[in-house]
Amino acid sequence: MHELHHLPMPAVIDLTQKEVAEDIIRRQSEAGPKFKKITSLLAVLFAVGIVSIVMRIADGFGDRNTWGYHAAIFGYMLITAQSAVLVSIGLRMVKAHWRRPLARVSELFAIVGVLNFIIYIPLLWVLPSSEGRLSLWFDFPGNSPHIWDTVTMFTLVITGLALLYFAAIPDIAAMRDSETGTNNGRYKRFAMGWKGTDRQWTLLNAGIGVLGGFYFLMLIFAHTMISVDFSMSLIPGWKDAIFPTFHALSGIQSGIATVIVTLFILRRYGGLSTYIEIDQFWGLSKILIATCLLWFYFWWSSFFTYWYGRTPAEQAVLNYLMVDTYRPLFMLTWVMCFPAPFLILIWNAVRKTDWGPTLAASIILIGQLCNAMRLYVPAFSIEDVSLHSLKVAPPATMPGLLDIATIVGMLAGAVLVYMLATRLIPILSIWEIKEGMLLQRKRKFLKTELRSLGKPE
Amino acid sequence: MQQRVTLTDAEINRDLLRSINENHLWFWLLIGALGSVVLCGFGAAAYMIYTGIGTTGLNRPVLWGFFITNFVFWIGISHAGVMLSAILRLTQAEWRRPATRAAEVLTVFSLMTAMLMPLIHAGRPWRVFYWVFPYDWARGIFPNIRTPLVWDPAAVFTYLTSSILFVYIALVPDIAVARDHVTGWRKPLYTVLSLGWRGTTRQWRLQLIAGILLSAVILPIFVSVHSIVSWDFGMAIAVEAWHSTVFAPYFVIGAVHSGVSGVVTFMIVLRPFFKWQDYIRPEHLDALAKLLIVVATAWFFFFWIEIVFGLYAREAPEVALREMQMLTPPWSWMFVIFLITGYLFPVTAWMFKKVRRSIKWMLITTISVNIGMWLERFLIIVPGLARKQGFTFSWGTYTPSPVEITIVIASFCMVSMLVLLFSKIFPLIPIGDAKEGQILQDYIQIGKRKVPAVLREE
Repeated sequence: MHELHHLPMPAVIDLTQKEVAEDIIRRQSEAGPKFKKITSLLAVLFAVGIVSIVMRIADGFGDRNTWGYHAAIFGYMLITAQSAVLVSIGLRMVKAHWRRPLARVSELFAIVGVLNFIIYIPLLWVLPSSEGRLSLWFDFPGNSPHIWDTVTMFTLVITGLALLYFAAIPDIAAMRDSETGTNNGRYKRFAMGWKGTDRQWTLLNAGIGVLGGFYFLMLIFAHTMISVDFSMSLIPGWKDAIFPTFHALSGIQSGIATVIVTLFILRRYGGLSTYIEIDQFWGLSKILIATCLLWFYFWWSSFFTYWYGRTPAEQAVLNYLMVDTYRPLFMLTWVMCFPAPFLILIWNAVRKTDWGPTLAASIILIGQLCNAMRLYVPAFSIEDVSLHSLKVAPPATMPGLLDIATIVGMLAGAVLVYMLATRLIPILSIWEIKEGMLLQRKRKFLKTELRSLGKPE
Repeated sequence: MQQRVTLTDAEINRDLLRSINENHLWFWLLIGALGSVVLCGFGAAAYMIYTGIGTTGLNRPVLWGFFITNFVFWIGISHAGVMLSAILRLTQAEWRRPATRAAEVLTVFSLMTAMLMPLIHAGRPWRVFYWVFPYDWARGIFPNIRTPLVWDPAAVFTYLTSSILFVYIALVPDIAVARDHVTGWRKPLYTVLSLGWRGTTRQWRLQLIAGILLSAVILPIFVSVHSIVSWDFGMAIAVEAWHSTVFAPYFVIGAVHSGVSGVVTFMIVLRPFFKWQDYIRPEHLDALAKLLIVVATAWFFFFWIEIVFGLYAREAPEVALREMQMLTPPWSWMFVIFLITGYLFPVTAWMFKKVRRSIKWMLITTISVNIGMWLERFLIIVPGLARKQGFTFSWGTYTPSPVEITIVIASFCMVSMLVLLFSKIFPLIPIGDAKEGQILQDYIQIGKRKVPAVLREE
């Protein structure tokens, strides 16, 4: 018991279960003027982004090089928003109690997946056939990446939406039954007769477990296929077994970063500080620091093997992606995904704030944007993808006005979609917070007060 | 559902010091049997060194065989210590408590055993010093620090040193308990080793800080050790299937898979001997099995991706090697056994709660994992070297000799014997941790149900 003097005061919400439900439902049904102003601004930016994509489509799909930044923003959304759903799934699997206020915040990003799927569609016309070049599809027909990547992305989006809906059923029922909630009729249909019987709870927990596990598998598959088909296989001579895992890990790192930044905004500007406590930032930042170290380790494993191997093909790839052509982007990526956040998060006092983890997460999100650009833009710049090694590296492709409009517009679109989704489903998982209140007690222990956590499993 | 047992401090002291305080014939018979095999192993090594390395089955081009496979295997087992102890401590997993010390001790002894393997493999062990010290100042001949074969000893020695410190720091409070419960020659030994421990607040605080610092320092070392072992192979571009960027994490996660399985095997084997039924309960095995499912599946993903990217470039020599590994006997049947025992059988079995909570089945499945993982290392090392390449005119293949087989069997007996001897001198389940676990146990009343709870340390 020597460790107890380090403990912070236990945080257990000082509200009744009824008050919690009413408070969250009331917040969900009210949209202030600030909310409307921000969504309007985002809608304008999103419209600009859509126009830029339409103009790009009008120019045709013949020049792959012009689609590099479009591919980068698609990759970035996969790395961030679609991977953010994993935060809730992972924490639920390990039964972390502190996950409860952030479960819905994380799952709601599944809706952004729909937008990313739409962004993905034009790329199918740009992606070359896999025939006559190195690819994951070996001797399968040339349109295999087009078909199977689409199936994977579609399944991922549908699974994410199903998980979001399934995990929200008790809350939808709460809104149906609420006096303060609006649109009770609509919620009645979507609540599917939820009454909270033992059987319904058992089914709910089983369903969340199965859907979460399936989403996790699909996400790993999506990272594997997209990273190889849309990046690695388009650069001749790049044969990097760790790359799909590196891409998936980038997803886990940025997914956590996305959730941290969202939690910060909700806590500071969304009036949810009663529910979103420092606990959530502290817990997530510890995982984030581990992902920073792993990110470096995976990158190093790849770089070191290439650097030591020193074959002409390996040297050409290193020069193109890291040492020469895309060096500035690589250096920005490297600094912002490893040493900068690591040096911030290494301090426990900083981890125990809301701003510290948010600062580190913001740096990571910028770094990962650079990472997406450094991985997808060079891949789309190669003209002859049938070669076995990179003979002559093309010069770096700089973003044009349309590229910038696409990137800004799609990012604004993602935030807009997320914000609008919070009007339909409560941003906080009411039933999980209530469950957490049931399973937590304050206990007097010697001279201090501790939190007692129930472990019914 | 947890099957909690409430124990007093006195009961915990009595139970966990039993291995130290009680003398049984079976223990010494077991030590004698294991020791005999170890002696045979040392005899075989001595014979090999005296006669020459021709007594092994090594032959050009296969110059790495059983010894190097066994080296990688034991380095792998050593990864259990940090995985269970440091990571589970940091994540505050309650079920870690009975397993940490066994894992740490297994780390130390398997590392020591692993280090013997390249020494024996070198044929003339004394020459290994040339790797470390320059032997000819006049001609300026220095060890080639650009080869991973020289990085290996540096990493393994660092890991061994920090692991010993890690074990010792966590052991100090338990040695003090032992000091207060023994008489005779062991009393002064424990008095010295317990460093004047009396359990004051300051001592606990210092012990806690040292534990956290060592955990933080040991984690990167833990990753680096098997990464460097993997680079013994991964840095070579001449052998197909070795030069892969995924080798480092693939080796590390494989090591955790076999290491954690090894710890479970040891815990189960020792459980009835030392009457640990109250401490190593089905719920602990259940949690370990769940962890193993995750670790094994992550390892299998790396394994799959390593094969896919081996074939990705469709280079004829690499494709030929993979065909040899998977489709040509005897490698193909080893490959099938490896797949079944290393992943398919144990992971499928662990899907069932009854298996996860069964002592017998957990013993069978974890032994199965390590049969598979030993074969995995063998299949990485030997077929790659044995495949016939152009412009090579030595076509020897590899069949292990009795000398090699004896030494490998002796290595297993040596680790088992050392763990047993350790348990005779020090408690193998941490007494302090067990008591802390008891203090942190709590219950919460929800309606009519009394739910097990734990007071949270954060």
